[in-house]
Amino acid sequence: MNLSLKSYLSKLSQEYLQPDLKKLDEIYDALEIQYEGKNDPWGLNLNTHRKCFEYFWFFYKHYFRVKLHNKNHLENKNYMIIANHSGQVAIDALLTMMAFIYEINPPHLVRGMIERFVPTIPFVGELITGTGHVLGDRKNCLYLLQKKENILVFPEGVKGIAKETSQFYKLQDFTTGFLRLALQTKTSILPIAIVGAEEFYPYVIHFPKIAKLLKLPVLPLTPTLIPLPSPVDIYIGKPLSLETLPSQKSTEKEINNHVLELKNEINDLIQTGLKQKRNYLGHAKNESRK
Amino acid sequence: MKAENNIQSILIIGMAGGLAQLTAQVLKKTFPNIKIIGIDSRSLKKSKKDDGISYQKIRYTRNEFEKLFRNHSFDTLFHLGRLSHATLNISTHFSERIDFGLVGTKQIFDLALSLGVSKIVFLSTFHVYGASADNPAFLDEEAPLKASIQFADLRDVVETDFTATNWMWKNQNKIKMVVLRPCNIVGTHISNTMTQYLTHKRSPYPLDYNPAFQFIHEEDMAHILGRSLKELPTGVYNVAPSNTILIRDALSLCGNEGWPLPLSIISPIAQFLKKLGSPFPEYLFEYLKYPCIISNSLISQYLGDDCLGFDLKKTLQSLVKSKK
Repeated sequence: MNLSLKSYLSKLSQEYLQPDLKKLDEIYDALEIQYEGKNDPWGLNLNTHRKCFEYFWFFYKHYFRVKLHNKNHLENKNYMIIANHSGQVAIDALLTMMAFIYEINPPHLVRGMIERFVPTIPFVGELITGTGHVLGDRKNCLYLLQKKENILVFPEGVKGIAKETSQFYKLQDFTTGFLRLALQTKTSILPIAIVGAEEFYPYVIHFPKIAKLLKLPVLPLTPTLIPLPSPVDIYIGKPLSLETLPSQKSTEKEINNHVLELKNEINDLIQTGLKQKRNYLGHAKNESRK
Repeated sequence: MKAENNIQSILIIGMAGGLAQLTAQVLKKTFPNIKIIGIDSRSLKKSKKDDGISYQKIRYTRNEFEKLFRNHSFDTLFHLGRLSHATLNISTHFSERIDFGLVGTKQIFDLALSLGVSKIVFLSTFHVYGASADNPAFLDEEAPLKASIQFADLRDVVETDFTATNWMWKNQNKIKMVVLRPCNIVGTHISNTMTQYLTHKRSPYPLDYNPAFQFIHEEDMAHILGRSLKELPTGVYNVAPSNTILIRDALSLCGNEGWPLPLSIISPIAQFLKKLGSPFPEYLFEYLKYPCIISNSLISQYLGDDCLGFDLKKTLQSLVKSKK
């Protein structure tokens, strides 16, 4: 009896807490081949990457119940992925990176950008860089794109991630530097919308003046200290063809116009996603009405 | 300015160092008929009897240099004589490093210019860029030199580099000059801090950080110094392999078992030991925390992508052989 309970629990934990290890072997074998002989000066370590993936699997699959939509828009090449930022902490980036590894064949290892203070944190800095993150620096982005790597860019920056409840899903101003980098390296831009992350912390207020006094980038206050299990849907838009983009020598006004178009496209994806948004129980709005 | 093709005599400053001796041998092989004079204020550990390479121990004073330049008609000057922080004893003060590195270097260059030298090769270091958490990977030659902002100990190194590059551009129409900023040079003939660090049986390494490093083999560096004579136009060049290696992997390749310690513990110990006279430069701990990776794209345009004979693995493994 004890044995069967033990084996049942072991089977349950294997099914629930661990990803399909055979699939994971195939993914990381493919990545090993992709990265064979390539040197990574930022410290990417595929073993660390895999370990972190396994540790976060439960949260990815069963807590945030991530779904990746429109996978057919992707080709087997590198992209500069442009996304909306949300959720107070950068869990949206982590979930996107996991989705592009696990849900797409061949896997797309996406390099996230980190703030300047992150590498200074003992132990954490090494773990973060081991999972493929790099310092958010223009030269780093340029080098990664020249090496045909995928990078994830949140052009809203901190303003995007740290929004009050009344601002949820309202896109903030986009920076424009990313477009010039894409043009310089002839990299396709892939717009994506992340829906569901704002509800990790559904009630948030910010104190910008106190944050400024304390020299902090933001100071959010929320009654829920841990992120709530809001299901996350990632919608992939159609990649922007480089032919339709302005040239590298375009004026700032032309670049701004294209960035605005891209912002509108991501906003359309968000609005489509919000219509089908799942609630905390995982039911889409249409389903719950039925 | 003498014709660069007819090199007849070369002066090497810092000849007691292993790199200078290797460079002299490379130059002798490339130009068998030239006369090489190596000078240093230190004694040579081994007596050299190579034909055409002579060694003189001199005091680094203006008079001695003037006599030397006037007695020999040098075509080329290799200035490899940076005072290493690692081998300084307590009696070697900061002012001495400033006297030689900063004031002395400029005087030597002025003498070389006035007495007909056609090319100067000056050896600086990648340390001038400084190790910092916000360094992008692959710093090019135009990156700001931030090392002395964090560590006053590195003021002489940065200022000497500044002096050399300023002097170079000011006199670019009168004399050819190359400033090289190599990454960590390691090898069996040199005893710099990094070689000592790697070849110990156990060296402390940070448990809480693991930055990427670049290493160049001493023989590769000597060959690049030799090639810089004819193949590099006036300018500043980083010298490093394209690849990097994490410091823990580097120690492991060298057979160094290491002591994993959090840097927050190591740093105060080093500061204390420094007060007791330890020669270990404490700024190196910053280089064990954060990366300072340099780009070799400029020098590769002139010397080719395959200008290094040793890859990173071979470079580090050569240190293991030396331990046996």
